[in-house]
Amino acid sequence: MSRYSMYNYRKITQTLMLLLIVAIPVLNKKGIMAVTGSLYSMAFGPLLITDPLSGFQVIITTLALDSVLLLSLVIPVLLALLFGRVFCGWLCPQNTLSELFDFISEELKFKRLFHPQLSAKWRYGLLLLLLALTVGLRFPVANLISAPGTISVQVTKYVYEGTMGPEAGLVAVILVAEVFVVRRVWCNYICPVGGFLGIFRFKKTMKVVYREDAGHVCGRCLECVKACRLGLDPMAGKVYPLCHNCGDCISVCGEIKGNGKPLFFSMR
Amino acid sequence: MIKFLRPPGARPETDFASRCIRCGKCSQVCPYKSIKIAGLFDGVAIMGTPVVKAREVPCYLCMKCPPVCPSGALDRNLKQKADVRMGTARINKKECLAWQETLCRSCYQNCPLFDSAIRMDNELRPVVDEKKCVGCGICENVCPVDAAAITVEPGGARR
Repeated sequence: MSRYSMYNYRKITQTLMLLLIVAIPVLNKKGIMAVTGSLYSMAFGPLLITDPLSGFQVIITTLALDSVLLLSLVIPVLLALLFGRVFCGWLCPQNTLSELFDFISEELKFKRLFHPQLSAKWRYGLLLLLLALTVGLRFPVANLISAPGTISVQVTKYVYEGTMGPEAGLVAVILVAEVFVVRRVWCNYICPVGGFLGIFRFKKTMKVVYREDAGHVCGRCLECVKACRLGLDPMAGKVYPLCHNCGDCISVCGEIKGNGKPLFFSMR
Repeated sequence: MIKFLRPPGARPETDFASRCIRCGKCSQVCPYKSIKIAGLFDGVAIMGTPVVKAREVPCYLCMKCPPVCPSGALDRNLKQKADVRMGTARINKKECLAWQETLCRSCYQNCPLFDSAIRMDNELRPVVDEKKCVGCGICENVCPVDAAAITVEPGGARR
């Protein structure tokens, strides 16, 4: 990978997010409140950003429209509408950890127990069930299994109270399942946060496009397939709504093909 | 019924549970570390929500947490300490030193609504005015009796 490829920018962004999750409670504890919150809801000074799934659950249980809450959903929803699930690919700490463990287990040629067909329908089914439970039980049930939220809140709990709750074990369960049972099972088949973000998509949302013509020549090297940390096939198309728009397939393709690469992001 | 106190400004429990998205911001801004994050063992439905365990650290009513709530689970407009209703203090007269004829004014002297929420009956025995008590739990925290003789019963969490 060349020094300035998108791949490197993404690794830097992911690392910065991990640092932010730790820095927020550490600085807050010292009384520096410029940035507060977790991946359920974060405040940069007066600017609020709330996880759309969390906000949606509050709206469907209370049937009330709180203006502060609604405004805090604008940025993440716009981000998803314009650029797809870049939160998952570029920011989510669970994805960062899962990618790291996936990289190691692929390098070691681990064999998983099951290889189900990739499909987003499991995730949407589970999301509907969680939303029904949220309305029935009158609390945001999906947040019980929000991996990014759990990670950030448990880091705060550790910094403030010196201990983590047993719910932090969710991360360990996910990683063990992904290494031994089904490759990337959480992000591909379960995660309600990513599932919900995947709904905010329309024709012009940024997507990975595979095109072969005079200007775009594919050498069938399959490096893009190997580069995808979700196990998707960018050459086959139909990677949405599972694709995180992380751009690794495009980075590796550009490395090999230069400007004539058959894989690229398109907003048309 | 929840056995812990909620932060100041919390809506009544059922409404609170449906609004609180478990983001932990109120706990982060609490300068006294009064607000703890409930864990899985406190109950699945309240896991991740903010609780105040008065005997460990009570609420000192600095009023920094209500405005940071992103979902309105805490009433962001709550400004006055006197308007907080986290619960109501109750005195166990069988255990209370003052009611058992030993001089003690701990709860009376430490109450942030001094001589209003807790008054001394005949200058000797503390009495809680339920209309004035904000439920901050400072009395419960300072009570010298083992397993406090004055405890805050959660609920009535709003003006």
